[in-house]
Amino acid sequence: MFLQFLFISSAVLTVSCALGVLMVKNIMHSCVFLLGSLMGIAGLYATLGADFVAITQIMVYVGGVVILMLFAVMLTGGNDFVSRAQNLLGLPASMGNKWTYAIGLLVGVVFLLTNIQLIRGLTKALPVKTITNEFPSTVTQIGHLLVKDHVLAFEMSSVLLLGALVGAAIIARPRKQN
Amino acid sequence: MNQTVVSYLSQYEFYDFLLALFRNNQGVLAFTLYLLLALIIVGMCATIGGLGTYAERKISADLQARIGPNRVGPYGLLQMLADGVKMMTKEDIMPFTADKKLFYLAPLLCLTGVFATLAVLPFSSGFIMADLNVGIFYLVAISSLVGLGVFLGGYASNSKWSMLGGMRGASQIISYEIPVTISILAIVLLAGGMGFGTIVGRQGGLPHEWFMFHNPFAFIAFFVYSVGALAETNRAPFDLPEAESELVSGYHTEYTGMRFGFFALAEYIEVFVVCGVAASLFLGGYNVPGIKLDILPMQAAQFVIFMTKTLVLYYVVIWIRWTLPRLRVDQLMSVCWKYLTPIAIFNLMGCAIWMVVFNGKSIAELVLGSH
Amino acid sequence: MIPAQFDALMPIVIFMGLAILLFFGGHYLSVVLAPKKPSHLKSTPYECGELPVGSAWSMFNVRFYVVGLIFIIFDVESVLMFPVASIFRELNDMGQGGYALIIFLSFISVLIEGIAYCWKKGDLDWVKSFQHSHKKENK
Repeated sequence: MFLQFLFISSAVLTVSCALGVLMVKNIMHSCVFLLGSLMGIAGLYATLGADFVAITQIMVYVGGVVILMLFAVMLTGGNDFVSRAQNLLGLPASMGNKWTYAIGLLVGVVFLLTNIQLIRGLTKALPVKTITNEFPSTVTQIGHLLVKDHVLAFEMSSVLLLGALVGAAIIARPRKQN
Repeated sequence: MNQTVVSYLSQYEFYDFLLALFRNNQGVLAFTLYLLLALIIVGMCATIGGLGTYAERKISADLQARIGPNRVGPYGLLQMLADGVKMMTKEDIMPFTADKKLFYLAPLLCLTGVFATLAVLPFSSGFIMADLNVGIFYLVAISSLVGLGVFLGGYASNSKWSMLGGMRGASQIISYEIPVTISILAIVLLAGGMGFGTIVGRQGGLPHEWFMFHNPFAFIAFFVYSVGALAETNRAPFDLPEAESELVSGYHTEYTGMRFGFFALAEYIEVFVVCGVAASLFLGGYNVPGIKLDILPMQAAQFVIFMTKTLVLYYVVIWIRWTLPRLRVDQLMSVCWKYLTPIAIFNLMGCAIWMVVFNGKSIAELVLGSH
Repeated sequence: MIPAQFDALMPIVIFMGLAILLFFGGHYLSVVLAPKKPSHLKSTPYECGELPVGSAWSMFNVRFYVVGLIFIIFDVESVLMFPVASIFRELNDMGQGGYALIIFLSFISVLIEGIAYCWKKGDLDWVKSFQHSHKKENK
């Protein structure tokens, strides 16, 4: 009962905020809608019992990426440059013309059909499972996997993050004018 | 498996009686119990937040040889009610240049972020709303909503003071999250789990059983955590986002009446929460010295112990505010990135090495030779 | 009788709901109780009594963005360290403490490398690196 409530509210939050990100013209409002959408995804993870991933979603995306996006918007001076141009559907012009919409629709239909095929195959193979009341910890399992089976990936991820840090520092550094 | 306050209560007989009252509907009973206890906690925390403003003024008056509020009620204790009523009856003013939707949303984000942390705060071994396996990790993650609220509050006001305060606030909160998180990691490493029940259960009631005195690295980690927590809650000497002598009132310059009240309430409850976290991570939490019994009256004793530790830390936070001068913004950043973060990483490595070399024993266990 | 465990998430939702409820309740009370006499001058943004000049939404310094970038990277690193740290004691009790220590320390040492690089190159300085660059520009 509660899980259904959590799932439905998270799903509604995710989808409606994702639509909001696309529909609003103010880029700051877009960022805030994105925040809602990411929170909704965290809720979806939580309903699946993936507690660690859900919290990671909040920690990295809500606490980090959204703030970074807001800072990035503030680099350009916030909402001073609202686009007034519109396309056929009354949406901002930067969201595309009729051709991009047509191609997007086509891709969407193909993607949907492929997904339906994939999911149909999966549901046949897997035993039908109702939502369980068990909520075991995933943290210990993830920890054991990181230390034993995927230790190389764990170590390499730190090197990857080091590369990202150095790259971020270099890009953001003021240019020397020689 | 996640323990909750309901699963704790269910081991007593009166739970079956309640269940019969609710016609064996587990979900509805659990919801009712949660709602009841959540209302109690919120009421308590709001009172503590209100008393915090009173304590702040009274203690500052003490430190500056003044009297402080003494007109409303005995010793001025009802001052907070007067303040609350005043806030409600003040006009809500919104700058006409403001971003209206975000202006409404910002206090709500602060309030939600702070209230959501209350769900995992361990008041006693039974009275912890949800002892999640990812407890402390969840608390760190969800409290980042406060930073967003501060930023959006500053942005939406479209006033120069607010904007500067909001930018400073957001960058300060996210920066100091790093040393705080790494200090918490050291404690997670020592405790062997992220749930508050695990962390507090690993400690004892007496000081030598606390994680603070477990090893020298954990001792330093406590201070790194405290400094970082002060900065994360925008308390002096890190109150740059609302520095009244340079930024008028910082990110809530344009907020009046009830909306300002929400920001203030969120801030004071957050101070309570970080003090509670410090008490449970480093200072033994709710453990009663010497007694290990699992009966219902013990819960009250544990609650009193927890609240005492937390409120002592709360006093220290206020004391620091009226003692130390404010930092400059460049000092703020260098303190975080050049001092606290390297020290926190060093502590984490030290704790890991200590765990392996001394097989997880604390100093007291090594000296006294117990276990 | 032990109740179902799934409701461990319920308190979080309830607390968030209470926050929203308190927020709207407070707003409602203030709408009922507070006076409403708006005037144009009252709702100008505060600028020490002067009329505000321009919008506050101006271009901000890139330093804030750099801090955000460095923060995210450390955030992700700490997220990766959390599960390993929480099973460290368990591994140590199983006699694999040395192995876990090597893995953990090598992960952290890369982190230290990153912060040492940023420190050396002056990306952690709030003011200094920009003064340096300005000096070079002036030359």
